[in-house]
Amino acid sequence: MSPGTELPLLALEHVSVHFEGLRALDDVSFDVSSGEIVGLIGPNGAGKTTAFNVACGFVKPNEGHVHYPTAKKSNLRPNQLVHAGVARTLQGVGLFPHCSVLENVMAGGHLRPSGGFFASFLSLPIEVRSERALRSDALAMLERLNIADMATRLPSAIPYGIAKKVSVARALMSEPTLLMLDEPASGLDEAELDDFARLIVELRSSMGVLLVEHDMEFVMPLVNRLVVLNFGQVIASGSPSEVREDEAVIEAYLGVAE
Amino acid sequence: MKIEVVRRRFAVSVALIIIATVVAFLIAPTTHNGVAIAIVLDVAVACVATLTLPGLRSSHPVVARAALSMLGVVVVLFVAFFLPSASDFNLATGAAMSIVLLGLSFLTGASGQISLGNSAFMGVGAFTMAIWANHHATTPIFITLLISVVAGALVGLLLGMPATRLRGPYLAGMTLAFAVAFTAILGEFSSWTGGDSGLQLPSEARPPHWLVSLFHSGASPLTTSTLWLTEISIVVAGVAFFFMANLFASRTGRAMRLIRDNDVAAELVGISLPRARVIAFVVSSAYAALGGALWTLIDNSVSPPTYSFALSVTILSLIVIGGIGTISGALIGGIIYAYSTNVISWIVNQTGLNPQGNFASQLNGIIFGGLLILTMLFAPLGIAGAVRHFWHRARNRSSG
Repeated sequence: MSPGTELPLLALEHVSVHFEGLRALDDVSFDVSSGEIVGLIGPNGAGKTTAFNVACGFVKPNEGHVHYPTAKKSNLRPNQLVHAGVARTLQGVGLFPHCSVLENVMAGGHLRPSGGFFASFLSLPIEVRSERALRSDALAMLERLNIADMATRLPSAIPYGIAKKVSVARALMSEPTLLMLDEPASGLDEAELDDFARLIVELRSSMGVLLVEHDMEFVMPLVNRLVVLNFGQVIASGSPSEVREDEAVIEAYLGVAE
Repeated sequence: MKIEVVRRRFAVSVALIIIATVVAFLIAPTTHNGVAIAIVLDVAVACVATLTLPGLRSSHPVVARAALSMLGVVVVLFVAFFLPSASDFNLATGAAMSIVLLGLSFLTGASGQISLGNSAFMGVGAFTMAIWANHHATTPIFITLLISVVAGALVGLLLGMPATRLRGPYLAGMTLAFAVAFTAILGEFSSWTGGDSGLQLPSEARPPHWLVSLFHSGASPLTTSTLWLTEISIVVAGVAFFFMANLFASRTGRAMRLIRDNDVAAELVGISLPRARVIAFVVSSAYAALGGALWTLIDNSVSPPTYSFALSVTILSLIVIGGIGTISGALIGGIIYAYSTNVISWIVNQTGLNPQGNFASQLNGIIFGGLLILTMLFAPLGIAGAVRHFWHRARNRSSG
């Protein structure tokens, strides 16, 4: 399973979720460790998004647990995720529409110490210094992703591919150990896909990456491990080549051969 | 290079300050006023000199905000010296109102919550001021002001905690219920609040004499002039504006905008929605209470009907007309409020309406309602938003 003897960053244990009689997830278990890219795939309605939402606390599991073993935390609410070193992007781009690109990226560093409300109200030096550092770090992050020239624009005034990068930049600002990407490839053209894949591989060296994705061509060469869901159950998991040969997976994707 | 600029600016400022001082004594009607005008002009020169330093806003944002707030205060003070004394009362009530509007602008504009309870929160401040002053007449007036603000913040906290579980119309409904119930609550505790007739401030509850005499013309007796009230209100408003500008520019202020824009994404960067909503609610209550406490000081008394629900509607209309979510919108709303009574009585005079008649007494609501509709139709972001829009368009045209 996970490389080495290290604890995983994220572990779902026998998680079941049902929405009014519908079983969205049924006894799902998988984990993600540092240094690996794990892809969560499956046909439409297989429960990928639910699994993702359980992992980040948007959906509470009816049975089972979500653990963040490295951070020694369990069953977190969405706003506590960052404390466990988890950052996620949202489907689409999920940016703040009335804030500039730079402010969007600065938002990712919200939890850095800044002295709290009264430091804000009185503009104490700690707040001013913290904000200045945050601003320059956010600019550096934009430069790292080659989109620094977009800093002052609003999200509505930048191309879709760039907006996706901004959402990743925002997630990276919290210095996560686990990055969760929700459909990173959707809506991107060929060149942008290559660019994105390179970025994700580069990130693997310092964190674990979990991604939900439809685009098989994008996922297959990128990931170390795949978890395949169908009708809310894990039907296969393993390396891309193993999964590709798996009978159950072929059946799920192509339908029963006649 | 930078030092050079600062040095040259300093020299020019000193020269201007000397000139301003001489001019002040030339234009002032009495020497006593001359001191006040000289101080005002000198501070203005110092503020402008500071504000025009290159790169100040990015390198020392706090200094820039402080200088801008101070400049605003002295400009209004300067104007107040030359306005007829009948105008003092308007300026003072308007300044207090702009503080209330600031709080609501933060709550609604920044964090996206709607409150119809501002009249009641103003009332909490107003009555705390009067009750405390009646029981502890020796407490310095500024401490009593602070106590009123704390009382407003506490009531805001009490109401804000359950209110954060409510959204949109439900929150509006809850705050509306509080506003409507407030006058009845006052009646229940009539031994404290004075019932229908309200309370008078004791004569000891006045600002220290040195402060009053500083800005006061030596010619007229203290009791008949209201200029000092205007000055105190304007200075307090300036301080309130400074702190609110800090808040808007800070991480707390950004957190509010993030929640308003996309609450799901805001949670993912670590913002606790209930906590942030309570903070916004408490800030707006505290600001409303400060405005109300100033009104008690200005009127020298307080009575329950002032803080009926109708005031909440006026407050909400004012901030929408001025520009919701902006600091300048609160300033514009305050100025409109300050002179609305004058404009209305002017209209009544010109049209020959019976001032005691039904129509004339409702004219206030009719005019604010009309202004509100016009704003929603032609400038949904208020006057501040419209000005900003035209400014950007003009700048883009000249550059492109």
